[in-house]
Amino acid sequence: MATATDIETFQTVFAALAGQAHYAATRDDVNSILEAILEKEKPATVALAALSDELTAQITALCAEKNISVLKPPYQSSELPSLIDTVDIGITGCAFGIAETGTLAEVALDDAIRLVSSLPRTHIGILHTTDLVGTLLESSTALRRIFDEHPAGIAVSYLSGPSRTGDIEMKLTLGVHGPETAYALLLGESS
Amino acid sequence: MTRNPRQQHLYTAIRKAIQEKDKRTSLFSCMERGREKRAIRLDSLPGGTAFRKEVKAIKERCIAEQEALVAKFTRNAEDRGAKVLFARDGNECIAQVLRIAHDAGYKTVSKSKSLTTEEIELNDFMEESGLRVVETDLGELILQLVHEKPFHLVFPAIHKMANEVAEIFEKETGKPVPNDIPEIMRIVQQYLRPIFLNTDIGMTGANVGVAENGAIVIETNEGNARLVSSIGKCHICVMGMEKIVDTVEDAMMMVLAHPVSASGQMPTTYVTWMAGRTPLGDDGEARESYIIILDNGRTAMREDPVMREALHCIRCGACMNICPTYGVTGGHTFGHIYPGPIGIPWTAAVHGLEQAGNFAELCISCGLCKEICPAQIDMPTMISEVKQRDSEQHPLSRINRALIHAEDNAKIGCATAPLSNWALRNPLFRTLLEKTVGIDRRRTLPPFARKTLRHQFAARKPKDTSAQEEIQGLTQQQQARLRRKVAYFHDIFTNYNAPELGMAVVEYLEKLGCEVVLPEQKSCGYPAIGYGDLNTARDFGVYNVARLAPYVREGYEIVCTEPTATYCLRVSYPKLLPWNPHVSDVAAHSHEFFEYILDLEPDQQAAQLLAGRRFGMHCSCHQRPLGKANGAVTWLESLGAEVIRVETGTCCGMAGTFGLKTGPLGYELANAVGEPLFERFKAAEIEAIISESSVCAMHLREGTGLPVYHPLELLQLV
Repeated sequence: MATATDIETFQTVFAALAGQAHYAATRDDVNSILEAILEKEKPATVALAALSDELTAQITALCAEKNISVLKPPYQSSELPSLIDTVDIGITGCAFGIAETGTLAEVALDDAIRLVSSLPRTHIGILHTTDLVGTLLESSTALRRIFDEHPAGIAVSYLSGPSRTGDIEMKLTLGVHGPETAYALLLGESS
Repeated sequence: MTRNPRQQHLYTAIRKAIQEKDKRTSLFSCMERGREKRAIRLDSLPGGTAFRKEVKAIKERCIAEQEALVAKFTRNAEDRGAKVLFARDGNECIAQVLRIAHDAGYKTVSKSKSLTTEEIELNDFMEESGLRVVETDLGELILQLVHEKPFHLVFPAIHKMANEVAEIFEKETGKPVPNDIPEIMRIVQQYLRPIFLNTDIGMTGANVGVAENGAIVIETNEGNARLVSSIGKCHICVMGMEKIVDTVEDAMMMVLAHPVSASGQMPTTYVTWMAGRTPLGDDGEARESYIIILDNGRTAMREDPVMREALHCIRCGACMNICPTYGVTGGHTFGHIYPGPIGIPWTAAVHGLEQAGNFAELCISCGLCKEICPAQIDMPTMISEVKQRDSEQHPLSRINRALIHAEDNAKIGCATAPLSNWALRNPLFRTLLEKTVGIDRRRTLPPFARKTLRHQFAARKPKDTSAQEEIQGLTQQQQARLRRKVAYFHDIFTNYNAPELGMAVVEYLEKLGCEVVLPEQKSCGYPAIGYGDLNTARDFGVYNVARLAPYVREGYEIVCTEPTATYCLRVSYPKLLPWNPHVSDVAAHSHEFFEYILDLEPDQQAAQLLAGRRFGMHCSCHQRPLGKANGAVTWLESLGAEVIRVETGTCCGMAGTFGLKTGPLGYELANAVGEPLFERFKAAEIEAIISESSVCAMHLREGTGLPVYHPLELLQLV
C-alpha cells in the first residue's frame, strides 16, 4: 500500500528523470490531466494497451471530442509493427511502480504492448497508486508474483522516464529510440 | 635500449594518446563525471557502499553453484518457450547463430549492445555469411560504422566528439548532418527506425540470467533492446554463463549495482525481464527465442584459483572510470576487446595470455580498481598474476628487475655517498643510467644518506626502559601495549634517503612514551608485485613477516611511515602468503604512523604550532583503503593547520617506482596522468603539499613546483 510519501517520492524522482508525473485523485482529475497533455502534445493518433475497459472508454471518449484517432487492442499481427509506428502517443497500463526509482512496470504477454510504449514519441504510463512499492529491491516480490501468475512467455519492462543516451560526449540527450517525452499518471483510489 | 615489437607497439600507442591532449582531457572529464555521480548517488543510497558486499556474496555463491544454476535456468527458460543452446567456445556459438539464420532464411540482424558477441567477434562472421548486421546502441553503431572496437565498456564511443559523429553519419546517410547532438539523434532515429521495423533477427546480450524463472535481464537507457527483442521474427540472446544468478532478488541487486557503479544512475531507464517469447498481436503466433549460453574459457577461469574472481565482474565499467592510465590511453590501447583493468584477466582467459600481456604493463598497480569495483574484485592481484605468467614467455625488463631490487643499489649509493650523489646530479651519468638501466634522466632523484637510519639509530645511546615495572595480572601482550612498544617498519626510502625523517619518527614516538625498535627488514617488495615477479614478492613477504611476527607476539605494534609499506603488510601479504601462519597477525597489528599516534594522548607542546598555515593534502592510492590519510589530516589540524584535500579521484601518476622509468611507459605517462592533479594543487592557494608517500612527493614536487613535505617535516621547519 503506497503512502503519501511514496507518491511524492515517485513524482520527484520521475521529474528528475526528465519525466512528468501527475496524480489524479478523481475520475475528473484523470480527464483534466489527460486533456492538458493532449493539448500540449497535439497528437493525431493515440494507441492504447493494457488498460481497463473503463479507462479505455474514458480515453476514447476524450480523444473523440478532440478528433484524435484512437487505436486499441486487439491489434492484428499483420498490422504490426508498422501500425504503431504511425502513432504519436502510446498510453499503457502498468502493473506496479517503484517510488524510490520513479519506475513503472509494464507486463507484456503480447509484444504489441511493448511497441505502444516504445515506438511513439510520447508515452503515458498509468498506474494505480495502490500498486506502488517503496524500493527497487522491494519490487522483487511483485515481480516474482507476476512471473508466477504467468508461467509461459512474458516480458516485464521497468520504465524509468524517457529514452536517454549519453553516448556522444556523455551529454544527456532524450528520445534516441524510445519516447522523448514520458508521463506517469498516478491514479488515487477514488479515480 | 632495444625493445621488442610488442613494447614498441605499446610505446607508440601511449605516445600518440599523450599527444592527443584534447581527447584525453575529454576522456578524463567523462571518467571524473562518472566517479562523481557515483559518489553522489552512494551518499543517498541506504547503506552507501554496503551493496558491494552483497554483490560479492551473490556472485561468489552463484559461481560456486554454476552447473546447477545453468541447468535450472535452462529448464525454466525452456518451460516458458525459449530454446536454450550451449556453446563451448566462440566457434560453436557462431555456428549456432548462422545455422538459425540459414535454416529460416533470415537476412537481417539488429543488435543491442552485447560485449559477449564482441568477445567472439560474431558480427564479422555474420556479415561474412551475408547477413546485414546493424548495431542499434548509438555508441556501438558509431563504432560499427568506423570499424572500431569499444573504447569503454559502458560508453563505447566516448572518444568520438560530436563533430566526428556528425561526419560519420553524413557519410553513412549521404545527407548533411549538423554538428549538434540533438539533431544527430533525430537523424540516427530516422536511420534506425526502418531497420528496427523490418528486422528478421533481434539479437541481444543479457546483463543477468535468472535461474528461478528462466528470464534474461537486459538493461539499456536508449530503449533499443526493447525494440530489438520485441519486433524481430526471431530473438537470439548470447549470454556468458557467469551471468546466471539464482533468484529475482539476486538479479535485482545486479540491476541496482550495475548503473550505480557506472554513472550513479539507478536503475537504467529500461530494464527488460524477458522469459520465453510473447506473440506480437492478438492473433500472433509463438515466435522463436534462442538463448545461447557461452562458455569460451569461463569454465577454465572458474577452475583457476586466482582468475576465478574475474567471473564476478558485472561489466559496469567503474574500474575504467578510476584507472589512471586508462584515463590517458583509453580502451584501444588499454585493452584488446575487453578494455581496462578487468580487461586484463578477461583477455588472458578468453583471448589468451599473449593478448593480455600486450597491454598488462599499463596497469601501474595503484589498486584503485579494487576499491571502486561493485563486486570488490581483487583485480590488482589478478593482473600481477597475468604479468607473472606472461613473464615466462617475455622475461621482465631490466628496469623492472632493477626497481624490484632497488635496495641493492641503495646500499651501494649510501656506501659511496657523496660520490654517488655527485653522479646522480651529473648529466652524463644520468644519460648513462637512462640508457643502461632505464631511469629517466629528467627525474630528480633523492640523494643517498651517508649514514642510514639504521646506522644512526644503532649509534644512539640506548634509551633506558628498565624503569618500567611489570604490571601484575596482565598478559605480556597487554603489558607491552600499556608500555607502547613500537616496531618501526621504515622501508627503504626512509632508511637510505631520508634517515632524518626516520629519526624524527623515532623521537616523536619516544616523546609519546613509546619504546621503539627497528626490526631487521627488507623492502616491502611492492614493486615486485606491481611488475609481476610474485615469487620475489613472496620472498620479501616471508622475510619481513618472519622478522616482524616475533615482535607482534611480544606485544609490539608495527608502525609504518610509507603508505605502500602499510598496504603491503595489511593487504598484500595476506593475499600473497595465505598459508603463512603469522601473516594475519602481522597484518592485524600494522598501522600507519599517524593513525597510531592519534590513539595516544596528544602532544600538548605542539598545539597551535601550525596555526594560520594552509596546506594541500595528497592521499596516496594505497592509503585510500587504509584510512584515506585521515590520521595525518587530523594530526595536522590538531596543530592548528588548515588542511584541504586536493585530488582528482585517481592516482597522481607516480605509482611507486613507475614514474622513475624512462619513456612512455613510465615518466611520460606518469606526467600525463598527473597533469590534472598538478593543476589543482597549483590553483589551491596553499603554501605546500603534504604527502606521506616519498615517491608521490617526488612526483608532485616536480609536477607542481610547490614544496612537498611529510607532515613530520613541518615540525622541524617551524
